[in-house]
Amino acid sequence: MTGADPFRGRRIILAILLMAGFAVVLGRLVHLQVLQAAELSVKADRQHQKSVTVEGSRGSIYDRRGKVLAMNMEVPSVFGVPASLENPSGAARDLARVLRVRADEIEKKLRQERNFVWIARKLDPEQGRRLERLSLEGIGTVMEGRRFYPKGPLLSHVLGFAGMDGQGLEGIERRYDPYLRGEKRSIVLQRDALGRTVFPKGLTEQGPSSGHNLTLTIDEVIQYIAEKELDDAVTAAQAKGGVVIVMEPKTGAVLAMAMTPRFDPNAVRGLAPDRWRNRVVTDAYEPGSTMKIFLAAAALEERAMKPASMIYAENGRMTVAGTVIHDHDKSKWITFAQAIQRSSNVAAAKTAMVLGEERLFRYLKAFGFGERTEIDLPGEAAGLVKEPREWGRRTLASVAMGQEIGVTALQLATAVSAVANGGWLMRPYVVSEVRDAGGQLIAQVTPQVRRRPVTTETARTLGTILEGAVTAGTGSKAAVAGYRVAGKTGTAQKIDPETGAYSSALSVASFVGYVPAEDPRLTIVAIIDEPQGETWGGVVAAPVFRRIAEQALPYLGVSSQEPVKLALAERTGIGMAP
Amino acid sequence: MRLLMGIGLIGLLLLFVWERVDIVRVGYHVERLKAQRVLMVREQDELRVKVSALTAPDRLARTATEKLGMGPPLPGQVILVHAGDAAPAQGEPPLPEVRMAKTERYWRKP
Repeated sequence: MTGADPFRGRRIILAILLMAGFAVVLGRLVHLQVLQAAELSVKADRQHQKSVTVEGSRGSIYDRRGKVLAMNMEVPSVFGVPASLENPSGAARDLARVLRVRADEIEKKLRQERNFVWIARKLDPEQGRRLERLSLEGIGTVMEGRRFYPKGPLLSHVLGFAGMDGQGLEGIERRYDPYLRGEKRSIVLQRDALGRTVFPKGLTEQGPSSGHNLTLTIDEVIQYIAEKELDDAVTAAQAKGGVVIVMEPKTGAVLAMAMTPRFDPNAVRGLAPDRWRNRVVTDAYEPGSTMKIFLAAAALEERAMKPASMIYAENGRMTVAGTVIHDHDKSKWITFAQAIQRSSNVAAAKTAMVLGEERLFRYLKAFGFGERTEIDLPGEAAGLVKEPREWGRRTLASVAMGQEIGVTALQLATAVSAVANGGWLMRPYVVSEVRDAGGQLIAQVTPQVRRRPVTTETARTLGTILEGAVTAGTGSKAAVAGYRVAGKTGTAQKIDPETGAYSSALSVASFVGYVPAEDPRLTIVAIIDEPQGETWGGVVAAPVFRRIAEQALPYLGVSSQEPVKLALAERTGIGMAP
Repeated sequence: MRLLMGIGLIGLLLLFVWERVDIVRVGYHVERLKAQRVLMVREQDELRVKVSALTAPDRLARTATEKLGMGPPLPGQVILVHAGDAAPAQGEPPLPEVRMAKTERYWRKP
């Protein structure tokens, strides 16, 4: 042997040390991976994963031709972290220029001893971009969904509005909130060491789905026409306000529902609730002579009267239960048709007496008065129709003239539509379709018959009488060139809130009718509240009907009855008969 | 043989590591694309709101009348032409529920 390995001992010691080292590492590994595995996994997940609750965006609302009436958009909200701010007053000055609010108000917020303060929420996108360019230390932005109504006050009372947190508070926004709201879902995200999102924990995990989209029966253009003509009439008559409804009589679909004054749903803060109430469905009023339409329907249906039946109109003055009923015209013998066309109160009272309380009450209920129309809008009132046992000595005559009865404008529109369409009382509606964000049909509304108050024969006979009210009666200003119009005027005195009696100064002027009379496409109700000067429905409200019909009928492609005289041919003489 | 097995094992190990790294890389890419998509959807929504506001009927009417001097068409300037079978159907609504006021003693809601 040349000698023993001089390093053998050292190698053994080194090997033992290494093995001991490995044993320690192995032991630690077992400790971490086996004994503490569950606890550490939870800790690691907490550091790597982030659970966030995300809400899908609120659905949009479209008119019947697909025009956007309400939609959601992500906009910036700006917050501050006061602890990170070195110069709060400087930051407040910079923010004030962009946000257009006072710098001292912002500075007050930024000087609070808190970790987080909202400075302004749901700004315009342009303001967000300007804030980004400022890149202020301690000031940040987050994106939030904001509701936009791009048409401003158009259709505001029907659309309603959504609140700061995206919940529907009024109108369609409230009624269809469960459909419009986006889905809320919790998503787990994986984060890296810098806190950046890598990907959702489950690669197949989907984001929350958006709310459903609504398509309305409302036509943006007809709505605009109705609002414009109503505004003009209210301004001209120096009236307190007014409402207009345009409806398809055969289906009950509402094409326009206009009110004045209106509000901008983009800026409802500070507005009194009274401003956004949809008075077409919530307010009942005494309709006046427009009720004679339904009195006539009952009399014709019951064969109590024929159009040619003669009635003595008492020279325009009759005493009932100690009170005097007056007529505008002092007539003696007139036909039943003339009585309706000239709006004779005396003849109406006599007709009601022939019918009797129970029969008149039955027809009023059959036409939908005193009950909700079941339209898909919130806050609908039922109106007021007293039971016959509650009627006083004058009530029968009063109801015949449209007094002692409360109806909503919508009830009036659906009831007149029943006369227009041959006797079918339809359920009015404003939403025709609900589709999901992918365009899949969720629900579709079809026209719904509620009942049939009168026969087609009665409806046609009454239609002829109502045509006469326009051609030779009180509604002559509702006549539309080239189209046959059927309708009725109404002028109702209002109750003076101070005296509790009918006021001679306060009234409601109205016109209800349909066009073309032979194949009705539009029912239009125009009501002007408290007009000054001329207060007759035939003077104040009938022209609103005419102007809306004149514009809406060609827009809907409804042909005029007049022979076509080409404007070009008239100017040039080409194609004209010699 | 042992060498080949060793190389194979190392290869598998590398494949596993590459796969994990690639998942993270694709994850970042997906997140970048998602952020891009969010920005584009936001821009699209902003444009939709703008288009909708700019085509509001009252704005169009104001522009047409005040700036362009346009007005409503006069009688005879609009001629509607209907084909025979395209005329609106006349008739009564469907689903008749025949309950006549005449035959009911008092009208009651069904």
